[in-house]
Amino acid sequence: MAVVTNTKKTSATNLWTMIFAVFAVLGAVCWVLQLTRGLQMTNLDTNNMWGLYIVGFMIFTGIAAGSLLFSAVPYLFKLEEFKPYTRIASYLGAVASIVAASLFIIVDIGNPERVWLFITSGNWTSPMFWDFIMLSSYMVISIIFTRKLILLNEGKIEEKGVKGIAVVAFVAGILVTVTSFVFSFQVARPLWSTPAQPLSFLIAALVAALAVLMILSHILNKSGYVKMPIGLLAKMGKLTALLLCIELIIVITEILIGLYPGSGEDYAAFIWLVTGKGAVGFWLMMVALVTAIVLLAKQGTLPKVGLLLGGAIIALIAIYLIKSNLLQAQLFNPLITLPGTPVYGETTGPYVPSLLEIGLSLGIVSLGALLLNLGFGKLNLGTTANTRKL
Amino acid sequence: MRYAMAIDLDRCTGCHACSVACKVENNLPDGIFWNRILTAGGKSMDTPSGTFPNLSMQFLPVNCQHCENPACVKACPVKATYKREEDGIVIQNYDKCIGCRYCMVACPYASVRQFNWKKPEYAIDVAMGDAAITPHQYNTVEKCTFCTHRLAQGLKPACIDTCPNRARIFGDIDDPNSEVSQAIQGRSYFHLLEEKGTKPSIFYLT
Ligand code: SF4
Ligand code: SF4
Ligand code: SF4
Repeated sequence: MAVVTNTKKTSATNLWTMIFAVFAVLGAVCWVLQLTRGLQMTNLDTNNMWGLYIVGFMIFTGIAAGSLLFSAVPYLFKLEEFKPYTRIASYLGAVASIVAASLFIIVDIGNPERVWLFITSGNWTSPMFWDFIMLSSYMVISIIFTRKLILLNEGKIEEKGVKGIAVVAFVAGILVTVTSFVFSFQVARPLWSTPAQPLSFLIAALVAALAVLMILSHILNKSGYVKMPIGLLAKMGKLTALLLCIELIIVITEILIGLYPGSGEDYAAFIWLVTGKGAVGFWLMMVALVTAIVLLAKQGTLPKVGLLLGGAIIALIAIYLIKSNLLQAQLFNPLITLPGTPVYGETTGPYVPSLLEIGLSLGIVSLGALLLNLGFGKLNLGTTANTRKL
Repeated sequence: MRYAMAIDLDRCTGCHACSVACKVENNLPDGIFWNRILTAGGKSMDTPSGTFPNLSMQFLPVNCQHCENPACVKACPVKATYKREEDGIVIQNYDKCIGCRYCMVACPYASVRQFNWKKPEYAIDVAMGDAAITPHQYNTVEKCTFCTHRLAQGLKPACIDTCPNRARIFGDIDDPNSEVSQAIQGRSYFHLLEEKGTKPSIFYLT
């Protein structure tokens, strides 16, 4: 009987692997198209020069940072019940998300073959260069951390052996606020230059990581790779809901502060967002935020996996929309809006990614999922005995 | 020495001659203008605000401001754009540009930096302008060069020589006897978005 179940599981895993592989190949085809025909294949333009890829980068950097925090906190604050799942979290941070985040930058830039200039000609004053340093260090930290956690699990090292790297991982995770500097340090973009931005980025990172971990734990629970009690999942859900509440407060206060004066550059951008061309994205974001909070917070005495899962997925959508709206509201409302000699694509929004951008992004996410799957198969990350057989 | 440009808004008639001169001189690809003439008035270019006969319209030519404290230079992660120490010109190195468009995000002067979203295409089959210009590159950002190729030949920028109303004046702002220093003497002027702290080298005379 057990054998039959295992076969079923294996074929289900194979099916997913195939699906992800197909999407990854599709993504590669989209990239080739984009490289040969240029970024005109995207819906980006002179005003709206950053879009889905940059949001993808932000989210996956967030997942990486959030996973590092999730892995470090149980060792620093002695949360025993979460310790068994830190291996999965740190691997998620180590490989899948960092690879995905880096790929999102690689596909966004016009000349990926020149990316080595980050090393040979890095500019210390550029927040984007800081991001490069940060992503590289995340990679190193997570790999070391994952390895130590596996050794700890196998009983080859003591728990105090992971304390040091846990501290480093914790600090690195908090430093995800640096990602926000790419935006908040720009004098040309007043909407982004608020002290709330770094905090908002940290929260988004944690929410994204928690949501992905919840979804992942559920899948791995079903396949028998880990056994995470529903109570823990519910706790993660509640924490996510709390964080989303803070994010909601930040969003609402920013909007109110922008709208209150009744005119000016911030007002123009926020009016564009709330009642203008960006309204669909904005109100979808509000609905997603509130729905996710309700689903994740209101669990009663018997938490339901379905609701938690739905909440996690909607939370991810909300984070995407928050980041995308933040970009668009500012890019479509630059400091100088006088009409003039027409140049390539001076659109006024809203921005919806092109099919090619979506295909390419799905490809990157699928590649991340494949790497994740590979890690689960090859490394000892789970909590049950048949861990390696997935 | 610091190159600067004065644009006399009282003299500018919004004829777009400088814009076209720049386009031809630098063989700019389709969809790209380094020097744009904005209209402060109605909703579209070259239209006034108000109702006849109470109309108002003001032209505002905008190219890269060659800022003394350029936001683009700070932002570029790979030093593809930098300020030339000897004369303050903000240079764009096409060969180094990775095409991340961060400089476009960072520059407060909307659209002075433009990206080659496709392989450069041209309205006519033969190349125009000066042979000394750097060829345009696919997937890179470009902008006004202050016509460095003409300065190297001892000439003034193309837009300066072309302006039929002599609204554009160019020279070394550190030299009190230069044309540009003389032009701003005794005149009131402003810099675009001065409050952003970029310290532009373009003086708008009013
Ligand atoms: S105007 Fe913009 S592109 Fe030109 S130097 Fe200033 S910041 Fe850079
Ligand atoms: S697009 Fe080119 S010049 Fe602009 S910031 Fe990126 S690498 Fe630097
Ligand atoms: S200085 Fe040269 S490149 Fe700059 S706007 Fe004038 S003609 Fe164009």
